[in-house]
Amino acid sequence: MKHVTEEEMIAHLYGESENTAAVEKHLAGCDACAQAFAELKRDLGDVDRVEAPARDADYGERVWAAIAPSLPVYEARRRWWASGWMKGLGYAAACALLAACAFYAGRVWEQRQQPPMAHAAPKTPPAKQPIVVVVLDDHLDRSERFLVQLKHADVDPAQMATPLRDEARSLLTANRVCRKNLGQADDPELSTALDHLDRLLAEAANEPGGLNAQAITKLQDEMNADGLLFEVRVLRSRVMDKKAAIGHASKGGTI
Amino acid sequence: MLSNGRMDRNDHAAIQAVLAGDKEAYGALVVRHSQTLFRVAYRITGNEADAEDVVQEAFLRGYRKLEGFESRANFGTWIYRIAVHCALDKVKHRRGDETKVAGRVGDTTDPELDQVQVADEAAGPERMLLSGEIGELQLAALQSLTPTERTAFVLRHMEDRTTAEIGAALGIDPNAAKQAVFRAVQKMRRRLAPLRVAT
Repeated sequence: MKHVTEEEMIAHLYGESENTAAVEKHLAGCDACAQAFAELKRDLGDVDRVEAPARDADYGERVWAAIAPSLPVYEARRRWWASGWMKGLGYAAACALLAACAFYAGRVWEQRQQPPMAHAAPKTPPAKQPIVVVVLDDHLDRSERFLVQLKHADVDPAQMATPLRDEARSLLTANRVCRKNLGQADDPELSTALDHLDRLLAEAANEPGGLNAQAITKLQDEMNADGLLFEVRVLRSRVMDKKAAIGHASKGGTI
Repeated sequence: MLSNGRMDRNDHAAIQAVLAGDKEAYGALVVRHSQTLFRVAYRITGNEADAEDVVQEAFLRGYRKLEGFESRANFGTWIYRIAVHCALDKVKHRRGDETKVAGRVGDTTDPELDQVQVADEAAGPERMLLSGEIGELQLAALQSLTPTERTAFVLRHMEDRTTAEIGAALGIDPNAAKQAVFRAVQKMRRRLAPLRVAT
């Protein structure tokens, strides 16, 4: 074996030699290495262990008292089924189930509401009905757009909303025609909505000082109080369904 | 005195309690391991006040990382490593400050000559011998090491840690830890040579 290096001697001294037996054997037979090892042992033996100043028995308590106020409390560990992703999955499943139930209930309700096939077609369909429905649909469509404009109108206090007033006047005329045509129809919801609309349109069209910011705010309040826009939307949706049914029937469909 | 196995079980129970929201349970861990941490911190920093800072910092860091503590590990070993890291940081930081303030070169190793250039301390070896301050000379020799070498030497020579443990504590490869110990021993011997001549 070659002479033992200083690095190997240090490892050997600290009991971490990779080949302890070979190093010991060499040291036993090599005076130079044995002397070098003895010197190393002596030198390191002279290096005392640094003794830390004694801490009293309460030292740990003092350390704890010093750091405790700055430590936050850990939240209790959650169970695996209560962990974030499992909760999310649970919510998703619940939503899907709810949607499926709603869909199924809707289908069942629709079937129950539908009259039997034999009674589906009216015995004597009124000749005027399709025309009235189409006109009413157009009128409600215009009214809805007017109400939306009115709802979001943001007029400068110094200016007048002239286009809005002109549209109100035009709609007022159309609304009265519709009311007259539907006079005999047995549809209280439609009649009430058209009455409300008539009142609002009349105010908008004939506002004494013109349709200024103040007048618009007043009309918006009235409109919101009556829920007029919602009412018109519901009616329009109903009329559109009716219109579609008429169109389908006129093509010879059986629903 | 608790046996190691019993202590481990107690430590793990305390950790579970802390993670379940019982902050006070950490106090038991602090009380149980403070003395050990103070000892190693003092040996590395060589300063009482710094060692106390290191102990507090180690327990604070430990608390923040407690969720990452593996239940199979030993809390004592784990917090010990954190304390070594903190002490090493402290020494590095202090050394940086000293260099800035005094413009002093602490110690550098010339790679060509592999010779250590030790900063000239206020008190020379002879004067220390004359005043019987051998311990101070040793301390000065320790302070002449780089923070990593010093920590590696303290852990090997004074704390009886293996190079694998030193590597883990310093976050370096065991072979690099072995080299750090080797360099530290060489420097210490060179530094303490006048002491042998005088005696």
